[in-house]
Amino acid sequence: MISQLRQAGTLIGLVLIVVFFTVQLPETFLTARNLINVSQQISMLAVVAFAMTVVMVMTDFDLSVGSMASLAGIVAAVLFTADQPVWLAVVAALAVGVLGGVVNGVLVAVLGILPFVATLGTLTIYSGAAFWISDGKTIFGRDIPKGFSEFARGGVSLDAVGFAGVSLPYMTILALVVLAVVWVTLEHTTYGRRLYAIGGNAEAARLAGVRVRWLRLSAFAITGLGAAVAGLMYASRVASANPTQGAGLMLDAIAAVFLGMTMGKEGEPRALATLVGVLILGILDNGLTQMKVDSYVREMLVGTIVIAAVATSSIGRRA
Amino acid sequence: MAEPLEFSAMTKRYGAATVLSDVSLRLSPGRVHALMGENGAGKSTLIKLLAGVVPADSMLVRQGARTLPLRSAADAHAAGFRVIHQELNIVPQLSVAENILLGQPIPQRFGLLVHWAELARRARAALAELGVSHMDVRRQAGGLGTGDRMLVKIAAALVQDAGQTACLYVLDEPTAALNGAEAEKLFAVIGRLKQQGAAILYVSHRMAEVMDICDDVTVLRNGRHILTTEIAQTSRDQIIHAMTGRDVADAYPPRRTPLGDAVVCAAEGVSTARLTGLTFTLRQGEILGVAGLAGAGQGDVLSLFLGSVRPTAGKAVLSGGVLPTSPAQAWARGVAHVPQERRSEGLMMRMGVRANALLPHLTGVIARKGPERRRVADLSAAVNLKAAGPEQSLWQLSGGNQQKVMFARAMAGQPKLLLLGEPTRGIDVGARFEIYKLIRALADGGCGVLLSSTDLPELLGLCDRILVLQAGRQATILSPDGMAPADLLGALQAAPLALETT
Ligand SMILES: Nc1ncnc2c1ncn2[C@@H]1O[C@H](COP(=O)(O)OP(=O)(O)OP(=O)(O)O)[C@@H](O)[C@H]1O
Ligand SMILES: [Mg+2]
Repeated sequence: MISQLRQAGTLIGLVLIVVFFTVQLPETFLTARNLINVSQQISMLAVVAFAMTVVMVMTDFDLSVGSMASLAGIVAAVLFTADQPVWLAVVAALAVGVLGGVVNGVLVAVLGILPFVATLGTLTIYSGAAFWISDGKTIFGRDIPKGFSEFARGGVSLDAVGFAGVSLPYMTILALVVLAVVWVTLEHTTYGRRLYAIGGNAEAARLAGVRVRWLRLSAFAITGLGAAVAGLMYASRVASANPTQGAGLMLDAIAAVFLGMTMGKEGEPRALATLVGVLILGILDNGLTQMKVDSYVREMLVGTIVIAAVATSSIGRRA
Repeated sequence: MAEPLEFSAMTKRYGAATVLSDVSLRLSPGRVHALMGENGAGKSTLIKLLAGVVPADSMLVRQGARTLPLRSAADAHAAGFRVIHQELNIVPQLSVAENILLGQPIPQRFGLLVHWAELARRARAALAELGVSHMDVRRQAGGLGTGDRMLVKIAAALVQDAGQTACLYVLDEPTAALNGAEAEKLFAVIGRLKQQGAAILYVSHRMAEVMDICDDVTVLRNGRHILTTEIAQTSRDQIIHAMTGRDVADAYPPRRTPLGDAVVCAAEGVSTARLTGLTFTLRQGEILGVAGLAGAGQGDVLSLFLGSVRPTAGKAVLSGGVLPTSPAQAWARGVAHVPQERRSEGLMMRMGVRANALLPHLTGVIARKGPERRRVADLSAAVNLKAAGPEQSLWQLSGGNQQKVMFARAMAGQPKLLLLGEPTRGIDVGARFEIYKLIRALADGGCGVLLSSTDLPELLGLCDRILVLQAGRQATILSPDGMAPADLLGALQAAPLALETT
C-alpha cells in the first residue's frame, strides 16, 4: 500500500505541477501550442535521458553524454563547412557518438575503472576534442545546410485530427521513436533483461552465464549513440554548433532518471519512468519561465524538487 | 537472570500476508530452545521481532514481573539479547578483527590512534573461545568463505559481553554452512553459555543436531504456533509432522539406472591457485561428492568446470572437449551451477523470482513474459517454493526459499553437468528430500553431478563416491558404502598419508 503510493507519488507530483501551471497561467499553459512547444523543448533532454537509462539500469553512469553531444554536433558542422552532404555528416556524427561510447565501455567494462571516474575523464576529453576541432568557435550561418536545420522546424501537421494550424514537430517524433526503442529494448528483449540482471548483482549475473563485459560495453555504446542523436538535434534546432552546447544535458538527464527511479518497484530505472522525470523537469522549466521566475531561482527550485522526490521515495522503502 | 523470558501475542503482517500470527514463546535460563518450521514458516521473522530490527504489529515481552520494551535493536541489546541473524552481515572491507569487535569501543593508543595489536589480540581471544585458530584476524573479511564468516559473526556476538551479561542468545541457522568439526565447536560454546545460565533460541534445519543439543522445541507452521514440548518427550518424526502437517518420506532416493559409460568431465593432476592434485573422472549419471573442512578448496573444483577458475597445471576436460573459459560458455555447453554463496554469487535480491530463476536460460532476442511465468510456476512447484508469485522480490523471501530459487535456476535447463555448492543450505526437511529426488532424477537421466556440501549425511546418502580434500590437496576418493557421518568427518580431518585409498 505504502509502496504503491510511493511509486505513484512522482506521477502525482507531475499532475500537481500541471494543475498548478494551468491555474497560474490560464491563458497560455494548457494550450496545444504550448504543449507542442514543451515537447520540442524537452526532446533533446529526453533522448539523452532515455540513453542514460540504459547504462543506469546496470547502476552505471555516463557523465560524458553532454560533451559527447557537443562533439557530435561539431563534427557534423565541420563536415558541413567542408561541403559534405548532410547524410555523411549525420552518419559521421553518430559514429563519433558510438565510438565515444565504446571508449567509455572499454574503460569501464574491460579495464574496470569506476564509471564515475572513467566518464568524468572522457567528459573532459570529448569536450576538449570539440574545442580543438572547431577551434573554439561557433559554426553557424550559411555553413549549416537548409536541409539540416529545417528538420528542427518541420513537423507533421495535425489539421486532420482537429488541431488546425498546429503540427507535431519532427524533434518530438524522434524523441518518441527513441523512447519506443529504449522501452522495447529494456523491457522486452533478453538483452535488456540481462542489463537489469547486471544491475541487480553483476557477479551473480556473470556466474549465471551473462557476458557482463560485452553487455556493459555495448550499453555504453548505445548511450553514446543517443548522446550523438541529441547533439545533432540541438545543432539542427539552433542551426549552429558550439563546443559547449550540450553541457547542460548531462545533469538534467541524470536528474530525470533519478526522478523516474522513484517510481520503480525496487527503485530501478525504467524507460517510461524516465519520461515522467523528463516531463517534470521540462514542464517546470516551461511554466516557471512563463511566470517570469528568475533562472537562478528556477535552478534552485528544480534541484530542491529532485531531492525532495528522491528523499520521499526512500522513506518507507525496506520497512 | 533466573527468570524466564516470555514473549506473547507476536504478530507480524506484510501487506495482506500475515507471516506471524499470535505466537507465544517462553525461554528459560540454561535451556536451549529449538524453533522449528518449514521454509517461510516465520522463524526468522519472529527473531527479527524480538531483536527489534523489524517493528511488530503486536508483541508483549515480559521477564518475571517486568515488561520489556522492545522497539529497536538498541532496546534488545540493552535487555541482554544477542542475536545472530540468518543473513550474514559482515563488512567485507574491514579486517576480521574489526568485524568481530564491531560496535565495541575500539582500543586506542594515546586516545587517538587505533591500537591494532590490542584489537587483534581481543579478536583472537574471541575466536579462541570458539576453538578457532586457523583465521588470520588481520585479513579482510570479504575473502572469507561462508563457514568462516559464520564463525566471525558468532565470535562477534560472544565478545559483546564485555561488561554486561547477556540473558538470551539467538542463533538463526548458524550451522547451515558449517561442517561437522566447526559445528562441534559451536555446540561446545552453546553448552558453556547454557552453563552460565543464558537462554538460547536455536534455529536449524539439521534434525540430528536439534535432537542432540536442544532441550525444548517450538514448531511453527504458516506463522502459527503448532507445538511446544521438551525434546525428550518427542521424536524426530513427530517434530517433522508438526512442521509439515504430513508424513515426510526422508529416505535418500536410490539410483534407478546404472552409470553410463560416457565421461561427463574429468581432471588429471589439475592444480589451481588453491588446489593441487585433482584427479577424477565423472561418468554420466554419477554423483560425485566433494568434501573437506572449511577452505580445503571445494569451491575451486566446481569453479574449474564453470570456467570461472583456470587450471595452472594438469589436464581437465568437459564432455570430451576443453574446459570452458567463461561461465557463459559453460552454461551454453550444458553446465548448471548452484553457487556456494547465494547472496554474493547467486541472487539478485531486488529482482523477482522469474528474473532470478531464468537468467541463464534466456534465449532469442525477445523476452516473453507469459511463457516465462508458466515456466517459473512449474519450477516453483517442483522445488516447493513459497512465494507470493513469480514477481516477488527475492529479499522478501525466507532464506530457504531463496535457496530453492537457486536450485530451480540450475535444474531449469536440462543440464549435462550439475555443479552444486551447498545446494540444500537452509532448506527444510520436507523440501530437502524433494530436492534430493530432483537431483536423483537428473542423474538417472544421465546428468553428471559434482556435489560439494558440508552436510555429511547428505553426501553419504546421495553420492556414488566422495572426493576428499584436505588443505587444498586431493586426499582420496571414498566409497560411502557403510560409512557413518562420523567416519566421513574423520576422513576429512585425518592426515593425508594415514588414509586408505579406495
Ligand atoms: N519484507 C517482506 N515482505 C513480504 N513478505 C515477507 C517479507 N519478509 C518475509 N516475508 C515472508 O514472510 C514469511 C516468513 O519468512 P521467514 O523469513 O520468517 O521464514 P523462515 O521460517 O525463517 O524460513 P527459512 O527456514 O526459509 O529461513 C515468508 O513467506 C516470507 O516470504
Ligand atoms: Mg529464516
